[in-house]
Amino acid sequence: MLESEYQEQNRFFLNMGPQHPSTHGVLLIVLEMEGEYVLDPQPVLGFIHRMHEKMGESRPCQGFMPNTARMDYVCALPYNHGYVSLIERKAGIEVPKRAEYIRVITSELNRVASHLLWLGAYLLDLGAFTPILYGFDDREHILDILERITGSRLTYCYYRFGGVYKDVDDKFIEATRAFIKRMRKRYVIYEKLVTKNIIFIKRAENIGIVSPDMALRYGMTGPNLRGSGIAYDVRKNEPYSVYPEFDFEIPVGEQGDCLDRYMVRVQEIEQSLRIIEQALDRLPDGPVRSKVKKNIKLTPGDCNFAVEAARGELSYYLVGDGTSTPYRLKVRVPSYSNLSCLPELGRGILLPDLVSILGSFDLVIPEMDR
Amino acid sequence: MAKKKDYKNDFLHQRFDATETDYDQRGYHLEVVLDVNQVRKFAQTAYDLGFYIVFVAGLHVRPNEGHDKGNSGLVVVYQFARYDQLYRIKARVSVPNTLEIPSISDIYQGADWHERETRDLYGVVFDGHPNMKPLLLSEEDPDFHPLLKEEKKLKSLDEISWPSEAPEVAKGEAEAETGR
Amino acid sequence: METISILPPELIRMVIAVIIIISFLFLNAIMMGYAERKIAGHVQRRPGPMEVGSHGILQMIVDGVKLVGKELLIPFNVDRTLFRVAPLLSFTPVILPLLVIPFSEKLQARDLNLGLIFIVTMGSVNVMALLVGGWGSNNKYSMFGAMRAVAQSIAYEIPILLSLLAVVLMCNTFSLKEIVAAQQNIWFVFLQPVAFLIYVVAGLAETNRNPFDLPEAESELTAGFHTEYSGMGFSLFFIGEYTNMFIVASVATVLFLGGWHGPHLPYGEYLGVVWFFLKVYLLLFLMIMVRWTYPRVRFDQLLNFAWKYLVPFSLVNLLITAVLVKL
Repeated sequence: MLESEYQEQNRFFLNMGPQHPSTHGVLLIVLEMEGEYVLDPQPVLGFIHRMHEKMGESRPCQGFMPNTARMDYVCALPYNHGYVSLIERKAGIEVPKRAEYIRVITSELNRVASHLLWLGAYLLDLGAFTPILYGFDDREHILDILERITGSRLTYCYYRFGGVYKDVDDKFIEATRAFIKRMRKRYVIYEKLVTKNIIFIKRAENIGIVSPDMALRYGMTGPNLRGSGIAYDVRKNEPYSVYPEFDFEIPVGEQGDCLDRYMVRVQEIEQSLRIIEQALDRLPDGPVRSKVKKNIKLTPGDCNFAVEAARGELSYYLVGDGTSTPYRLKVRVPSYSNLSCLPELGRGILLPDLVSILGSFDLVIPEMDR
Repeated sequence: MAKKKDYKNDFLHQRFDATETDYDQRGYHLEVVLDVNQVRKFAQTAYDLGFYIVFVAGLHVRPNEGHDKGNSGLVVVYQFARYDQLYRIKARVSVPNTLEIPSISDIYQGADWHERETRDLYGVVFDGHPNMKPLLLSEEDPDFHPLLKEEKKLKSLDEISWPSEAPEVAKGEAEAETGR
Repeated sequence: METISILPPELIRMVIAVIIIISFLFLNAIMMGYAERKIAGHVQRRPGPMEVGSHGILQMIVDGVKLVGKELLIPFNVDRTLFRVAPLLSFTPVILPLLVIPFSEKLQARDLNLGLIFIVTMGSVNVMALLVGGWGSNNKYSMFGAMRAVAQSIAYEIPILLSLLAVVLMCNTFSLKEIVAAQQNIWFVFLQPVAFLIYVVAGLAETNRNPFDLPEAESELTAGFHTEYSGMGFSLFFIGEYTNMFIVASVATVLFLGGWHGPHLPYGEYLGVVWFFLKVYLLLFLMIMVRWTYPRVRFDQLLNFAWKYLVPFSLVNLLITAVLVKL
């Protein structure tokens, strides 16, 4: 019925995705367009919905560990981290200091890997083919380091309740230090190739401005929020693990456009490296895993635990009922809230700008669909 | 970090049933139990105080028992937090038998998707939501709600609440819990 | 030569030239495809194709065989005639300009006295192919690509013409052979640096190369106008693009870089072709490097750039040239 009306107005619908190159996975965005202008972008989710929450509610809490990594496969270790910390908080499990340090080191390495992948993918969205390979080159080093220690390259299941699965060795520390040194040398390449590239700046500047109020209404977190000038980082605001012991800054942007989001992420790589360096320097000796009962009883009552994943605040909300199986497990994922502002942000912009905004949000679709 | 402010009184002033909770144990500072017609007022208060929305989720419990008398057994949980300081609020509201509760998606636009998701998974209908279509699940089968539990697996709201909330019987357990 | 007399010897000459040129086109596409992949590889710190032949030198031949062997998919609901005509329309007009390009003093199929106009005209036909292909595909992305191609080519043909006119004013002829001959002592790139820069930039846009590859912007429009094409249909577009690049580089060489002129070689009237190709492929190398370095510009930025900077600058340049020539 509306079809004829739309044709009179020269409007039409364009299905962007689910196999579109710049929706990074299976995200469908139904665009209502007039010429090259997007009037109303409506994301359609759920193409790879796997009902992780139901899986969490139908097996003992240990059994959910591998699932956590399947949600955000790009930055899986913080997902591990949030879940083990949640159960530790609920069941009152103590974690040895060394294990916490190892968790921080590996989580931060994973965050750097995630940001590098994002950097390449964003530039690919803007039509530059080279940065993604530079990013992958650096990321490969991290994956090698993590593979040696965790046994997997992408979907880690390394943390355990009360510690980590395996202790790190000197070779790991050496390799990590070498990586930090190498990464710092690479900044100049990225700066020349991307940050100072006039076409890139023109494509990212003043595009997709997220105001602080808008961020609040949509519950945006992570680098997307910090680009808008709000210094909110769960690692600082709601310190967990051993993060309070490290000296690091929260980079913030000024006006919340794509360029600010880019700058925040690039600076975060350096901050993560700083954390890793300090953690390596102070890595205490001792056990990496405390004795935990096989059958963890989750006491009645609810409990929340938030961590900073690469894309923002990740909250696990658990309701226990006295058995070892969670009665309810809610996972609050950052990309979900971040993307929900797209209908408002993407009104009346050009199609290439929409691609730029989508890229700058750093979306991981499996994380949103869960 | 910015100065700590306790927002409990702000909510008590507005006649919300707010109780302070132990953050180290639960991960949030304030628990608010809402009545269905308080939901929008609560969201507006939270918005005015500068809270951001963390999530909206559902919970399925055994209906007509304990605190949950006369309700459908579905509970909707809201969580809000602040950007400038560490303060988390959990609010819960029991869904009446009509399965309808007011939507807050015009106050917090971010709640839009969370509410649609809750409708998908539990079948709670948010009244006043502009676009109550399935989001995560398929549009072909809108009456399939995977997170509703089977009858025999359901527990009452009291059974899954922190012991201190439950009436006197559980008090002793709670102390034993913290003592350990 | 001015009389139009299609005598048998002249006809045979033309037929031979066309055959040589078509075979050269395929060779050029293969070489360019290989060079592009290899250079891209080295820019990105990876080896590029390595498996087929030594250093992957046979890769493009294998790919060509693959493309020829592929089924020509014609999607449902397309305009079949237009859909089939478009690749040919993209390929055929790019052959003709090569007939008038003087590769060396004596290697030229036919010296038209309006050679330059002929090349520019044929270059415009290529846009028709993109429009027809995009329109005929019955796909919104293709349509976007086609529309962009038309707007872009209108915007960029004007600065191209204006910058070429500056050279024409200086040597008073449209014949490419005479233009090259006029550069015996000094190449026009030194006399007309602004025109040269404008021509190279606009030429990049004219050939739809990154950073101006908006008609096929794959992150926005999947593959733009050739989204629905497969097999040979796709490869004709592909060959057309590379040939177009070659023509743009050749025209730049002829008009600005002194064509076949270079240090003296024996049999100079024939071997000048060496210098010609050296210059052309240097320009092509530059184009490839640009592609693998820069992101893509936005569509309105592209048009703004053409109308607000390139056109005024080339007009001013033309005016100054005219005044100086008159003096």
